[in-house]
Amino acid sequence: MYSLNVNGVSHSVNVDGSTPLLWVLRDVLGLTGTKYGCGIEVCGACTVLVNGQPEKSCDMDTSEAAGKTIVTIEGLSANRSHPAQQAWIAHQVPQCGYCQSGMIMACAGAMQAGHHGNEILSEMNNICVCGTYARIKDAVQGL
Amino acid sequence: MTLPAEILAGARAPAMDRRGFLTLGAKGLVVAFAMPLVGRSAVVHAQAATPPTTQQLANAYVQVGTDGSITLWFGGSEMGQGAMSGLAQILAEELMVDWNQVTVKQAGVDPIVSYLTGGSSAVSRRYGTLRNAAAAARELLIAAAMTKTGDANRDSYAAKSATVMYTNPVSHLVTTWPYSALATLAASQTVPADLRLTDPGKFRLIGQPVPRVDIPSKVDGSAKYGIDTWLPNMVFAAIKHCPVIGGTLASTPSKPSGAVAVVPCKASDTRGAVTAGSVNAVAVVASNTWLAMRLANNLSVSWKLPASTAGVDSAAILAQAQGLMAGGQALCAEPAPPTGTTPASYATQLEPAVKAALGTPTIDATYTLPYLAHATMEVVSCTVNIVFSTAGVAQSCEIWAPTQAAAWVQQTAAGLTGVAPTQITVHTTFLGGGLGRKIEQDYVSQAVQVAMAVKKPVKLTWRREEDFAHDQYRPFALVNVKATLASGRIAAWSYRNVSQAILGQRGWLPPGAVDSQATEGSTGLPYNRGTHIVEWVPLPAGIPVGFWRSVGSSINAFAVESMIDELARAAGADPFQFRYDNMTDDRARAVLWAADILSSSWRNSLPAGHAWGVAIAESFGTWVAQVVDISQPSAGSMKVNRIACVVDCGTVINPDSVQAQMQGGIVHAMNAALWGQMTFTAGKAAQLNFNNYRMMRINDMPQITVQIMQSTNPPSGIGEPGVPPLAPALANAYARLTGTRVRTLPFFAGAGSGSDD
Ligand code: FES
Ligand code: FES
Repeated sequence: MYSLNVNGVSHSVNVDGSTPLLWVLRDVLGLTGTKYGCGIEVCGACTVLVNGQPEKSCDMDTSEAAGKTIVTIEGLSANRSHPAQQAWIAHQVPQCGYCQSGMIMACAGAMQAGHHGNEILSEMNNICVCGTYARIKDAVQGL
Repeated sequence: MTLPAEILAGARAPAMDRRGFLTLGAKGLVVAFAMPLVGRSAVVHAQAATPPTTQQLANAYVQVGTDGSITLWFGGSEMGQGAMSGLAQILAEELMVDWNQVTVKQAGVDPIVSYLTGGSSAVSRRYGTLRNAAAAARELLIAAAMTKTGDANRDSYAAKSATVMYTNPVSHLVTTWPYSALATLAASQTVPADLRLTDPGKFRLIGQPVPRVDIPSKVDGSAKYGIDTWLPNMVFAAIKHCPVIGGTLASTPSKPSGAVAVVPCKASDTRGAVTAGSVNAVAVVASNTWLAMRLANNLSVSWKLPASTAGVDSAAILAQAQGLMAGGQALCAEPAPPTGTTPASYATQLEPAVKAALGTPTIDATYTLPYLAHATMEVVSCTVNIVFSTAGVAQSCEIWAPTQAAAWVQQTAAGLTGVAPTQITVHTTFLGGGLGRKIEQDYVSQAVQVAMAVKKPVKLTWRREEDFAHDQYRPFALVNVKATLASGRIAAWSYRNVSQAILGQRGWLPPGAVDSQATEGSTGLPYNRGTHIVEWVPLPAGIPVGFWRSVGSSINAFAVESMIDELARAAGADPFQFRYDNMTDDRARAVLWAADILSSSWRNSLPAGHAWGVAIAESFGTWVAQVVDISQPSAGSMKVNRIACVVDCGTVINPDSVQAQMQGGIVHAMNAALWGQMTFTAGKAAQLNFNNYRMMRINDMPQITVQIMQSTNPPSGIGEPGVPPLAPALANAYARLTGTRVRTLPFFAGAGSGSDD
């Protein structure tokens, strides 16, 4: 039994401690906004904030996440009001949208660390197969 | 891809009955609109009248509710191309409603609205139909108002913002009704012959960059993809295929500890029919996806391997293709074989004359293109809930799938469960990328088989490694082009493509016929080629091949536009000028000219160490020209700095979506050209995840400028045409920069993840 603090709510989850956080979020807590892309820490689709830091949840054990503050895309804001979400809408960034939770969480993490504009970009290394990079570049300029 | 009409129509046209309408729970006016396969005249069907026949190809439900709602029932697949929004714009335009008054809802499988999403056709093929449907709905609402006033003079009425306005010709007093107040009455009116289509010069919404309807849900995690489906009491499944293509299960492994079940799965074809005797995978079912994936990965399974793996081995396939290039019987794709000849006999007949005209070719070049994976960001996934009778017989079935072919999903499930199609509901979820992969039925069939076996709701999700290793790949191709110049003009041209048949592998190709998927992009070129022949030699290899964004054009544009550049160089001509000099197509010339102008500001003043390249290609009726600026920061690398892209896609529905699709197509093409390659050793795929199948990252992104040609032609595709010209433009720039002509893709084979961490 592990206690996870996700989006301000504390959950007790009964899983093997080696279960990746990604799958606890998706299959146990029903928070499906966080995506599976590669499972090997390469694509970034599974990015969430753990104690304010962007982390790839496909490679974080539940036992390691326990007791830390976890924020997923669902908890980033109410009503899509986070500046990154607003910028993503204003620049019509998503295509299929599947990578965008991870992208936005990576962006939000960089912002939380005090970065702006192109500094944010240098922290964003996720894969977008649809190729929305041009619009992400534009979207972060005002952040 | 350009598919036979029968296939695009949705494959199976289930008997049309009134149920199709009633299941929508419609209140008010429903206009189901059907376009006959032949002929211009439209058949419009209001709820009370006779349903259209199954022979009719139908495309749209427009619903005006008594509650004030305006709904477009969307029968395609939204995979990021903006199809939902594009269709809603067309509807709102002709129905005379505001953008924020329209709601788009995903329809289930339905003989009227469902269509296969492919061939960049989602919006373009429905443009005329939907305009007519929406205009018909508007005229029915006005006809309803006429019954209230008794004045049948259409000129006394106007429609705007979901309101009909009537001006009394005598008193000049004005009466208005919201559409909702007329909807019920409208359903019993007759559609007039004149639909009063809006003059394109007065469009309010078509041609405007309106914000897409699906975007808000894609920034807060609420958009539901196939992989996100969640049902009470569901179990989770993962798949393990025989790692060797063509291998089958020797014996069912016992259930590992922690698993709910192990289910052998039969293979199926693109339309969902089970391939006889082919249990090529086992599914492991568990209490969560990760556990199922881990157990599947660790499961030791005994497989029966094929007697020979020569047909599924990259080195053997290359050797076989080289043999066929030199001595195989070719089929002639262009010029079109006249009656009385076959593609094979006509090729044999024409070859001597082309050979004579070629003499000693100015250039004789062979281009090699690899197999490519789709690698959609969302792996394939499907959720199935079957209701069984107490005797254990399947009664009804509900399926959630990120699919490009909902009608085929229904057909797949009907075949496996014995449930009548009317009792099978298909929910098309958002697709985390489609790219042609999600037309296939393999993953749907497996999920249905598992649900039948475990008798519980089940979600199947493939591991990324299975997704790479068991794709239906963009075909490998070997293309030889010989051409001879006379005074700077192409005097003779011989083009021979050796590749697998995508349609042929599906049994959709008559024997001896040319596979249109293999030759698209190599015929009907915008250049005068003098005495010429375009041939295809079928390659009988066993790698599963399929539809990959832009299909054959992704192959042929590379060979054609590289060759044109090689000829320009041989002629000592500027690449633009050489193309203009040999070009016969005015639309292509205009696009190229625009790209010439758009890029001229930087092209002629590039810093040292940079070079430019250009290419142009048509696919799906859309012309795209791209000019690239590249440099080489170090040996064995390439930096793409800038791209100018000009597109002519006819009438533009949403310029912002056109721009997005060009940007996305360029990235997809860069992934492929620079690094993309699937290789197979004795039937096993070598690339299994993004760590050895490199994808672009944001720091690889060039600056892209997209310009769209003003046009009054009918709209044509935008999802795929951004892909074909990019690879040859890069190769042309690379030859200019380094003096080395790259004729084999990718540029940099064996690339890793491109990730810093
Ligand atoms: S799923 Fe975690 S990095 Fe790809
Ligand atoms: S928007 Fe589709 S993968 Fe990024």
